[in-house]
This record gives sequence, C-alpha cells and structure tokens, in this order.
Amino acid sequence: MIGENKGQVTEMLYPGHFACPGCGAALTVRYLTRALGEDLVVVITASCWSIIAGVPPLTALKCPILHCPFPSAGAVGGGVRRGLDVKGAHGTTVVVLAGDGGTFDIGLQALSGAAQRNENFIFVCYDNEAYMNTGMQTSSATPYGARTNTAPYPLFKEGRKKDIIQIMSAHGIPYAATATVAFPDDLEQKFRKAKEIEGFRFIHVLSPCPPGWGVESAETIQISRLAVETCFFPLYEIIDGGSMQLTYRPPVQKKLEQYLSAQRRYSGLHEQQLEKLQQDVDRHWEKLLRLSGRS
Amino acid sequence: MLNRADRPKALYSCGDRPSLDNKTGDWRQITPTEAGRPSPCRQACLLDGEIPAWLEAVKGERWEEAWRIMRRSNPFPAITGRVCFHPCTMECNRRLMDQAIDIPAMERAIGMWRLERYRPPAAPRVLRGRVAVIGSGPAGLSCAYYLNEAGYRVTIFEKAPVAGGMLALGIPSYRLPRELLAEELKVLTADGVQFRLDSALGRDFNLEQLYGEFDQLFLATGAWRSRALNIPGADRPGTWSALDYLTRIHLGETVPLAEPVVVIGGGNAAVDAARTALRENGMRRVSILYRRSRAEMPADPAEVEAAAAEGVELIFNVIPREIKGGEPLLKVLLDRTVSGDGGVKILPDDPVSMAAGSLIYALGQEPDLSFLDRLSQPRFFYAGGDLITGPATVPEAIKAGRIAAQAIAGRLAGRPETAAPPAQGAPVTFDQLNLWAVTAPQPVERQADPAEEAGRCLGCGTCNSCGICYLFCPDVAVQREQGRYSINLDYCKGCGICARECPARVLTLEGGAGYAS
Amino acid sequence: MPVEMITGNQAAALAAQRAGVDLVAAYPITPQTAIVEYLAEFWARGELGGEFVSVESEYAALACSSGAAALGARTFSATSSHGLAYMHEMLHWCAGARYPMVLVNVNRALGAPWCLEPDQGDSLSQRDTGWLQLYCANAQEIFDTILQAFALAETIMIPCMVVFDGFYLSHTYEAVEVPDQETVRRFLQPPSFDPPLVPGRHANLHALTTGEVQTGLIRERHRVMQGAAAVLAEIDTRFQAVFQRGYGALAAEIPAGAKTVVLAAGSCAETVRWHLPHLAGTGLINLRMFRPFPGDILCRMLEEKAVERVVVVDRNCSPGVGGILAQELKAALYRMAQPPVVHDLLLAGGIDFTPRMLTEALAEKRASARSAEIWGVELS
Repeated sequence: MIGENKGQVTEMLYPGHFACPGCGAALTVRYLTRALGEDLVVVITASCWSIIAGVPPLTALKCPILHCPFPSAGAVGGGVRRGLDVKGAHGTTVVVLAGDGGTFDIGLQALSGAAQRNENFIFVCYDNEAYMNTGMQTSSATPYGARTNTAPYPLFKEGRKKDIIQIMSAHGIPYAATATVAFPDDLEQKFRKAKEIEGFRFIHVLSPCPPGWGVESAETIQISRLAVETCFFPLYEIIDGGSMQLTYRPPVQKKLEQYLSAQRRYSGLHEQQLEKLQQDVDRHWEKLLRLSGRS
Repeated sequence: MLNRADRPKALYSCGDRPSLDNKTGDWRQITPTEAGRPSPCRQACLLDGEIPAWLEAVKGERWEEAWRIMRRSNPFPAITGRVCFHPCTMECNRRLMDQAIDIPAMERAIGMWRLERYRPPAAPRVLRGRVAVIGSGPAGLSCAYYLNEAGYRVTIFEKAPVAGGMLALGIPSYRLPRELLAEELKVLTADGVQFRLDSALGRDFNLEQLYGEFDQLFLATGAWRSRALNIPGADRPGTWSALDYLTRIHLGETVPLAEPVVVIGGGNAAVDAARTALRENGMRRVSILYRRSRAEMPADPAEVEAAAAEGVELIFNVIPREIKGGEPLLKVLLDRTVSGDGGVKILPDDPVSMAAGSLIYALGQEPDLSFLDRLSQPRFFYAGGDLITGPATVPEAIKAGRIAAQAIAGRLAGRPETAAPPAQGAPVTFDQLNLWAVTAPQPVERQADPAEEAGRCLGCGTCNSCGICYLFCPDVAVQREQGRYSINLDYCKGCGICARECPARVLTLEGGAGYAS
Repeated sequence: MPVEMITGNQAAALAAQRAGVDLVAAYPITPQTAIVEYLAEFWARGELGGEFVSVESEYAALACSSGAAALGARTFSATSSHGLAYMHEMLHWCAGARYPMVLVNVNRALGAPWCLEPDQGDSLSQRDTGWLQLYCANAQEIFDTILQAFALAETIMIPCMVVFDGFYLSHTYEAVEVPDQETVRRFLQPPSFDPPLVPGRHANLHALTTGEVQTGLIRERHRVMQGAAAVLAEIDTRFQAVFQRGYGALAAEIPAGAKTVVLAAGSCAETVRWHLPHLAGTGLINLRMFRPFPGDILCRMLEEKAVERVVVVDRNCSPGVGGILAQELKAALYRMAQPPVVHDLLLAGGIDFTPRMLTEALAEKRASARSAEIWGVELS
C-alpha cells in the first residue's frame, strides 16, 4: 500500500494555496516538505510557485519562504545556506524550488555554479515541461513533439528535452534523483535521503500541469504514473555522479503512445514522430538499465 | 483596526497568515461525493451484511465499532462464521488477485470478541410490549434478539428440550460446536429473552392461548417434516430420515447404524448425515448416492469435498428403485440415470444392487402447517424462516427474523437499528478497482492476524480508509480524523484526483460548486 | 593611527575586512579584480570571518549575497561596468527587499567596444534601482566611505553602492590611515538589523502582491531615501568622533567671493581640489552622495554663496541628453528663483581629466549661456 507512513508526518502545505485544480507542482511541494520536516527554508524562484505560495498577508507553507528572481535560484540558495551557517543555524534545511524554466533555461548558470561549488542545499526542479505560469510556452524541458503557444499547430517542439540529470550528475554532485507525484513514497524517500546528505542535491520531479498538457485535472496522478510505466520518465538516483540505480522498474514497459495519446499537447503527431520518440525513450531506458547494471 | 496613517510602515512584503483564509472551495465546479456502490461481497451476502464496513473496523482494530456494524445485519457472527456457506467469499474481487479475504474468519473473530466481552445490561430495558416467538431456530433467535434490543419482552417457545432449532438439532456439532450455541443462548437469556422449552405448538399450547398473553406473534417453526422415500421397502427397519437421525444424535440418543451406510440425497442434510455417521457412529464405510451429477449437487461444495476427503464414497446418477432384504443387510436396488438441464432420466438398464447396513435418506423437508387448521378464527401473526421459505440457510433465517422484528417493532413503535439494504446498481468489479495503489509491491497471502487480514480488503465501493484520497489531494483538502477521511469542501477545488484514484471506487464526481460554510 | 601605502582596491578590501563582513561573494572584472583577490587572501589567512564565495557571475554575487542578507548577515561585494549591468535585476530586487548590503563599483566604460577607462556611466545608469550611491575621491575616502556605507545601509535598510574610478583610484597607491578592527568596532558594531528570514517563522517574503501594496512600499523607500543625507550626516558625526575626519553628502570648498563652482564626483573632484589654488574666484563641490541626490543642500549652498555658474565634470554621457550629473543638478535647481548657469564638461569614455582641461573649460566663451556642453576631447 502506498503512503503507508502517512500517519507520522506533518503537513507543511496549508489548504487555500493558489495552485490550479489538480496541480502537480502543489503535490510535489506537499510531499517534499513533508519529507524534509519543519526546520526548513524554502527559496522559490519565478515559477508557478511564485503564485501558489500565496499573496501576502497569506502564506501557503508552514515555514519561511524567500522569493527570488528568475535566474538567481542556485545562487540565492547558496547565500541562504551560508547565511544560516553564519547565524549558527546549521540544522536548518534549505530547499530551492524552481520550475523547468528556472532550471533548464534561465536558471542553468546559477544552478551549475551552485552544483560545482557543492553548495549545501537541495535544488528541486518541479518540471511541468514548459513555461506554464505564463501560459505554456516552449522551454528546453519541453519534449520533442509537444505543442506549446510558442510552437503552435502545425509546429511542434523540434529539439529534444535536455537530459538535466545527466548534466547535473556530471558535476559530480553527491546526490541526483528523479521522482514524480504518482510515486509519493519514492519521492519522499528520496528527499529524506537527500536531507541526510551534505552538499549539493538535485531532485528532478516531473509535475504534470493539467491545463498545459491537455489532460483533465483528475488525471494528474494517472499521467504521472504512465510517464514512469512507459519509461518516458524513469525513476532513479545517482550517487556522487557515478553509481546509478533505478528505484522503480515497471513490471511491463507500456507503449509510449499510451502516454502521449492521453495528452492534447501531443495531438496530431505523425507515425514517424511517434517512432522517433519511442526510439529515444527505448534508447534512454536501455542506457539506464546498462548504467544500473540491470540490462 | 488601525487607521491608514497609524499603521506601522512595512519594510518589505511578507505574508505570515496561513492561506486557510483563502477558501478555495468556491473555485469548485464538481464535487467528489461518496457514491456508495455495492461491493460484490455485500451483494452476495444472504444477510445484506455491510462486509467492507466492518472489515474496515477490524482493520483498524476498532472491535466495538465492528460489532456495532455487524449486529445491524447479523447478531450471531460467531455462528454464521461457521455455518454460512459464504457466497461473499466466492464473489470477493480479491480472489482475482491472490486469494479472497477470509471473511468467515473475520466474522468469527467479531463474534468471539463480542461473546468474550459481553456484560449483561446494568439496568432493565424500557418495555414496549410483549412478543411471542414460536420456534428457537435462527429465525426465532434473530427476531428475539432485535426485538429485545428495541425494548420488547420476548418469550420463545421451543418444542424440543433444547433451544436452537436447526442450530441445535440439525447442524452437526463439528460445524457448530454446541458450547458456542450455548454461549449465544446465555447472552440472549441474560439480555432478557425468556425461553419456554418443551413447549410444542399444538401439543402443549395453541395459538389462540397466546393472543391474550402477547401483543404480537412470530412463527418460525421451521421445516421439520422429512419428505418420505416413496419406494417399496422404505419402511424396513434400518432406514432413517436424515433429520430424524441427526436430531436423535444431537439429543444424545443412540442410533444403531450398521455398515455399510448408504445415504440417499444430494443436499447438505445428506452430507451432514454421512459425516455424522463417520464421527458419531464410528462408521467407516459410508456412501452418498445422488441421482444427478456432482456438479448438480445442491450441497455446499466445500462440505462435499470434506466428506470425500474423510472417506465418504460418492456415487452419482443413481436412483433407488426398491429396498429389499434386511437379514441382516438391506439390498438397495438402484437405477442408473442421466441428468442435466434440470431433468433426470432413468435409464432402462437392469437395476444394480447395493448392500446397506443402514439407509439414511435426505430428500428434503417441508414445514408443518397443520396448526393453521386448528385456528378458530382468522388471526394476524408474523412468520418467517424455513416455515415460509422451505428448507433454506441459517443466514436467510436470521435475515427473516430481522425483517420480522423490524415489522413487528414498527407496528408496536420503536424500531431496532438494522442494516440498510445494499445500494442499487452493479457492484464494483475487479477491473474497476485502482489496484496499482493498493497492491504494490506484491500480492499478499491470507494473514492470521485479523487486522492484517481485514487490511487486505480492497473495499470495493466502500471506504476502507486506505487514505489514497488524502495522499493525492494537491489541496490538502482531505481531512483525517481518527483514521477516517472526509473532504473539506471549504478548500476542495474539485480537481477530481481523489475520485479518479480511489482504489475502491467509492467516490464519484457530481456537479455543484461552492464551499461548505 | 597606522598609515599604509595602498591602492584604492586594497583600501576597499581592507575596509570590508575591518567591517567584519559575514559573506563576500564576488566575481572578477577589470579594474575591480584586485579587491576580490585581496579578500581571498584575507580569507585564506583566516583574517576574514564568515564566508567567501567565488561565484560564477556578478549576478550570482549579488544573488548569493541577498540570500545571506535575508538572514541578517553583513554582506559585501565588488564589481565594475558590465558586471554591474549584469547585476541590474538583482539591484532592483535587493533594494525592494530592503537588504542593507554594500557593493563597491569601480567605474569602467560599458561596451561596445571594449574599453577599460573609468567612465561613470556604469553606476550612474543604475540610479533608479533604489540603491544609495556614494562616490569617493581618494583611497582614504574609499576606506572610510565603505565603513559609513554599512552604517547607513543598516540604519535605513537600503543597500548602498560605493563608487570610485577605475585605475585613477583602484590602481593608484596612496597613503591611507587603516585603523585596526577594534577601532573600527567603536564606530561600526556587528549587524543588528531584524532579518526578514528567521528559521521557524512563517514568512512569505517578497511574494506576489498588489499594485497598492507595491505603491506603499515604494513610497516608503522614497521617503526613507529622502532622509538619507540627514542620516549620513549623523553617521558622519559619529565617524568623526572616532576618526577625527568626516565627509557628509557633499564636501564644498568655496572661497569667499567665488562666482564659479566646479561640481565633480570621484577622482575628478580630487583633481579639481588640488588645482583650486591656481583658480581664482572658483570653488569646488565634491558630490559624494549621488543617490539620493542632495538637491536641497546644493541649492542652499549655491544660494548662500551667490554662485553664478556651475561647471559640472561629467565623466559620462547619456546619449541624446548629455552628462548625468548636470541633468540631476539642473533638475534640482528648478526650485531656485535665480539658478546659476550650468556648463557641462563631458569626459564620457573615461578620458583623462587634466588641470589644463579644467582651466580651458572655465574660460569657455559661452560663459553667459544658461547651459552649454563642453566636450573634453575638444580641449587641448
């Protein structure tokens, strides 16, 4: 049974937050704050969470939130960590929330800098695969084949999605992992693990956006689950930029088409495009199996 | 409230009030609602038992609550847990995954918990009226239980020297230990139900006499008249009706059987008689003869299986034509038959002969309605159980007693709390369940611990507090209080994830906006 | 008090070190680089407490500082030119967040093309970011102003930029009194402002808000900035008590009867000051505080001294408008019934400012015109 230990945790997310119905990013933060505990500082860069966190005098989290400009997340995270250390608050955990834009695109420089310096905090990319807060524009996390408002019909996103975990683990950081909202136990476990590790930790959380992806708000979990079951978004972790292990292996790899056809943003994909995507997924999955010694 | 000018100047923008002030419930277009679709077990239950609900209580080890739910449909779970054939288990969706939930064991556990913790009521009940129950079988006992609960003075008349009807005299003790029945009777007595044993209708009293003493009458005298074996030689010594045989055994009499014992019939009474002959008379050669095939046998297949395992020989598609001899062995002449589609056709071959030390026939029973002829005027009374349905099951009799009690109480004012019938509509099927959330990582075998075993229940249409709705709510709008879940409509944005992910398919989405308060 | 022969960059690094900063995050750029190197050296020797972070960009330098400042840490950084321009977004953000940080900018021209000369356009073009800007005329001022900047920023919770010229000050050795840390402590105590970010405290800091709230916050910053010169004066008084020297928002040397005043900021003011004895009837206003612009003080002074002409030395130019200091001055003069004429000596591109240039500018033929532009490059 999933969510078995749900009795012992403190909910850090208040009801009344400003996320859209069915928001994957809200769930992501709900889970990760539960796992990280109350002695926490959350740094939020420009993203959906700039809204979700609430308009003062309100706040949606049971801990301090520090908003910061779009490209600055990695650097601000390090500054907060060091500020806490200066003030003797060594036990306080710092977590930085960034969307895919604030991670893959505009935030990549600061992210890379922080990772390279092995700044002692957790960087979370809640990835909804486009600029969703501004209404679904292409980011470099948008997968090949998806339509956005900057790649409208008959266009589609041409380039591949960046392999951000590879980029980040190439920095040799102590911990890098993927997670998604349909597997909250896996997600929380990774955050609990990350909390105990010193240095830069990067967790990439696929967080479905129902309006952006063109799914019903009720389908958030379902689509997140399909992403894993089709191996489009495998769940794994990489320690010290080297040893990689899958944390969940689907009993049967479902056809990617099942995942794509459930989302309106992929509507009208040609056979060849579908094939290309399936090949990409298969190749990536085989690579992961090889790296994890499971092939 | 400070006026504008007096307000301290803020240095920077900062929110410090929980977003609870933002009632997001008014964003909602659709509302998750408990649909109450029936589970297959509940729909199959002969008692309308709220099985997933009490299993959920057992899972949480809330025994008091489990008993409270149980007794709404079944006041004798310790008994039914042993004697019911449990169609619930046969329909259990979990059987398609690994193994059906051991519902009988859970039922027994609740029954035993109740018996062990029973304390007589401290204060006498408010008495609303007097009811006579004639017949102390499961229908009579059930009716008495519910009426007594609702505050009526109940007197049970029983023709036998022991109470329990079929439970005492028909069902073999290996299926229902008599100490357990005694316990249940003790509880009923302590609760205030009065028994008049050795009081047979038509022999010791007649109905007319009761109308003066009681406000209402419930007749549950069962179906005790055995159908006769209408073939030549059926009256030879050494020939018994199954019910007569079982009754005598259960009254402690000695019934002289001789090997080989031949039992004729395909119902539960035949199997009971055969297995009792093995146990009580030490017989080793016992056969059951049935005129149809094994698949057509009305007896509980598990019982038939058990009998075969104990060495009872099963012979199918034969029908007795005549009984001869008797010096010392009877000679039973049998015709061969073909059966199917409800019909039985006797083959024209020569009969086969079979030797029998004793012959027991179980060809069905009928109620004795002769008391009706002795009424001097039209009379109003309630009746239920085998008396009305003909030979049926213990749970059906209990349900009849419950319904009668409700009707009688309704007539006299003050109804006992009883279970509502299951919700309408098709039961939740295996395919509709969201098993991914529940089964991960592996199928689970039956567990010895009741709470763990009940924890295997998938709920199928009934909330079993699995907490998936709570876990997956992005708005933290599912509340948990004492292990139970409810949706806080002040904050629910109506995304529908809870309904979509509910493993048991309890929730549906209904139109309607706005927050609760 | 010990006197050392040091460069302006060294003075800046020493001031940060003596101020007991908690965090230095910086990125190298000519001509500021040596500040970062000196601080790294202090840190390596264990003479710089707290944290030293070699970040990946100027933007990150300020971003990193902002994170620590949110917790009440005293932060310091230094940059120049393109680095400052790259910080632009964070400059606005830190001012809005009221982080009392101190940032040194060493003036350098902005490309294209690449040019390393000390044009002031880099810092002056950040005038609307909500930062205090203090300009230094020599190495001693650099050291002293940085100490005062921390005191001022932490008093009014507005970040402060300390500015000086590249090379003329950054790379030139001067004799500077460098007090020890204990003496500095007598003027500048460890930071004691209430940090917005406190672990365990509910705070949704700098979150999305309404235009009305933003108005209130901007107006409050405006009000506080308007009083900054007065606060600086108080701080200067305390400073004088410890160090027996002081400055204020501007330093004026106007001989009796002088009808012309040269207004300059940074090393140009120092050049003018050394040349004053040779310039009859001419005074100097060394504009130390550019943001907020001390217009009231200026006008009062010009009125009192009955100054008829102000020659502004602008080592910068806002193309299409002209020198930025002249613009600011002219706007301030609007409140005067009989404002002096304003002549603008433009040294944009950071060209060398010679005494001869000054003499020629003062002798400009259009002396009676209400306003005139004199391009330094056209003078001999």
